[in-house]
Order: sequence, then C-alpha cells, then structure tokens
Amino acid sequence: MELENQEIQTFVNTVRSLSDYDFTEYSDKSLKRRLMKILHDYHLTTESLLIKISENPEFLERIVKDITVNTTELFRDPAIWHSLRYDILPDFEDLSTLNIWHAGCSTGQEVFSMMILLNEMGLLERSDIYATDINSDVLEAARKGVYRYRFNVGYLNNFDAVIKENPRDHNIYHNVPYSKYFVVDKVRDNIRMKDYLLNKPVYEKMDLVTDHNPFDRVFDLVICRNVIIYFNYELQNKVFKLFLDNMNQGSVLVLGVHETILGPYAAYFKKKFQAYYKK
Amino acid sequence: MKHDALVIGGSAGSFRAIIHLLEILAIDLSIPVFLCLHRLKQARKGFEETLANIASLPLMEPFDKEKIKPGIIYLAPANYHMLIENKRTIALSTEDPIQYSRPSIDICFASAAEIYKQRLLAILLSGANQDGTGGIAAVNRHGGYTLVQDPTDCEITTMCESAIKLTIPNQILTIPEIIEFVSLL
Repeated sequence: MELENQEIQTFVNTVRSLSDYDFTEYSDKSLKRRLMKILHDYHLTTESLLIKISENPEFLERIVKDITVNTTELFRDPAIWHSLRYDILPDFEDLSTLNIWHAGCSTGQEVFSMMILLNEMGLLERSDIYATDINSDVLEAARKGVYRYRFNVGYLNNFDAVIKENPRDHNIYHNVPYSKYFVVDKVRDNIRMKDYLLNKPVYEKMDLVTDHNPFDRVFDLVICRNVIIYFNYELQNKVFKLFLDNMNQGSVLVLGVHETILGPYAAYFKKKFQAYYKK
Repeated sequence: MKHDALVIGGSAGSFRAIIHLLEILAIDLSIPVFLCLHRLKQARKGFEETLANIASLPLMEPFDKEKIKPGIIYLAPANYHMLIENKRTIALSTEDPIQYSRPSIDICFASAAEIYKQRLLAILLSGANQDGTGGIAAVNRHGGYTLVQDPTDCEITTMCESAIKLTIPNQILTIPEIIEFVSLL
C-alpha cells in the first residue's frame, strides 16, 4: 500500500482543523508509516479515515494516540544511566530540591528508572518528579506501573547493569533485590512497581508542540529520550527553545543516545557525558 | 555511476561477507552506503569500531537527522530503525520491531527505495528470518536494482530464500560475484 504526500497533508490539515493537535512538523517518513499502520489496522482508506475522525471526536483522539510511538524500557541504554549515576547527578547532590521533568514519558518506564536510581543515590526524597505525554492512555499506564514480564525480561538485565553492577569498578556489586522497587510475578506475567514509586510523580497531559510548561517549576534535569526523532528540524528547534526557557542555568537535558541538537540552540548548551548542560 | 545510493542488509551468517564488502568499496565512492544489520541489543560500541577499522570508507552510526554525505557508510544503530528521510537526511525511529527486527531491513530498504527510486542498488545477504523480503520488493517496485545472495552460498539460508521465493531480484549471486559487482562501483 502506498500513501501519497497529498493524502498525508490532507490528514494533517483535517486533524488541525478539528482539534488542537498539530502534526505539521512531524517527521515525514515516520508520520507516513504510522498512518499506513492505522489504515491497515482499522481497515480504512484515507477517505473513510477522514470522514470518521470528522464525525467522531473520540475516534480522532484514538488516532492521535496511535500516531505517537510509545516504545520504552526500564533503564534503556544502561550507559546513559551509568553516566547519570556517576557523572551527572552527583553535581546536584547539594540542591535542596531537584526538579526533574520527563517530557514524553510514555508508559513510565523511564520515570521509574529515574526514581530507582535517585533512591539508590539517596536523592529521591529531595526530588520532585514531573512527567508529561501527549497520550492520556500511556499516562494512565504510567500511573498504574504494571508491565508485562514475558516480553520485558530485558528490564531485569538492565536493572542489574545499572543498579547492581558498576562498570567503573568491577569489584563493587550492590546486592539490591528487585523487590525493593517492584514485584516480579511470573504467574500473572507482570512486573508491578511498588506503591511508594507510583505515588511520587506528578503526571500531566501535554503536547510539546502546542502547550506551555504545565508546572509552576523550572527544571534541573529534563529527560526527553527518543521523542524528537519524530519531529522535523524546525519542530525540534521549537522544542529545544521550550526546554531552554524552562531550565535553570547549569541544568541538564538528556536526549536519546542517537539524538543531538543540530540547530541554532546548540549554542546554548554544552555537551558533556552524553548530556546537554545549559550554559 | 548508475546508482545514487547503496543499501546492504544482513543478519546471521552475513558478518564475513560484510567485512569483505566494506574492505573493497572504492575509496573514491561518490555515493552514500546504508548498512542495516541485525545484531544483539547490548553489543554496541565494539561492533561499530570493528567495522570502522575494516572499512575502506569512513563508517559511522548516524544521529537522528544526520546529513547524508557521499562516501560515508551509515550503520543502523542497534535498537533503532534507520530510515532515509530525503536525499539529505537520515531519520531514526524506535517504533516496534518488525519481523522481530530493529533495525528492520524492510524499513531501511523501503525508505531508501522511495527516495532514490531507480537509482538505488540494494544487496541482501545471509540471515535467519524473513526480514528483507519486503525491502527487496519495495526496491524492485520503485525500479531500483536488487542483488540477493545465492542461498546455496549463505551460511543461513532463510532470509535470501524468502526474498527469492516472494520477489524477483535482478540477480542472485555468490559472495565472490557480489564483491566483484561492488568493486566495479
């Protein structure tokens, strides 16, 4: 099945006219792939999709959720979590409050990863954790903190790599049981986060493209991983500006391992330890 | 030059062939090369360095929105899909694996086919699943040129057998023949 650029354009315009969602500056290829998947999954043509979203606001909301990509893992890319633990976070140990924003938090795995790491460093109590996503379904999943076990055995390997092992000193081993943070229930096939981790973060629905910072805070740490890859260059710049305006001096922006700041906002950051420090 | 870009896909059993191919690419090659290989999620830096040391041309794992330059080999990063966004830009994606694969050869080939059309050369090598078949079909559909490794020459035949069964590649070649083809680029 092929989709013409004109059809994609019509879809984007229709969504924009019907709602506050704006996919104009999303990455072309990715948007096209997501749309093709939607047409396939719902057995629709472009025309029937446009009619259905025009007539049914709930269906439009569902399609918007389907457009966004929600893949995430506990401690995805252990190397960056090592860097947070040994290079980046120690500089923030003296702050009375550490304000952290997970922008595009999806189903919450990174939020839990961060809280677990902060707790191991003795920083969790002093941290205020905020998390946003465009998709209210994934926020609901984050609030519940229950993940499938069978497809996510890698979570435990990542936990071991980040929390138990120390790549900088192989003589050190922290024997931290999983049960300190979550319950692994193989019979019910799930991994369930502990209540004290569920109650800590403040979740808020937010579209990085159109909304302002919904929290009355300026942040010390902004985590936005594998989100901007779905945006084009112009939109990436807008999002960097949004972050910059809501970050303290010397605060840190953490992007995905293969994401980088290419445009004019690169000048406002200094790259160190796979992270961007606001100058 | 008949081609504006080269895409190579491979999985289990393709490593030796890849090494040969990277060694013999002309050092004045004036087109970009996109390399999409399945590999273990955690095996990261070592793999890139090994290939970079062998390759006749500079080899890198691109950042998202990396500018495409001729004479560079772009290796799809582990755990990401690599797409050709347009003639100037590479895009990465963390969408779900396709055919259990991320990076997916199908996604990489199909996105390159849409951009380079009949000016694309695609090579599919040994592998243990059916990823790549959809990619070869997409390149064919856009008029590009496709080479599939002869299954009798593959360490693991599944991937190329699938491609040959379901598509009509321009040529089915052994590794020495593919190397000869590529050395003339």
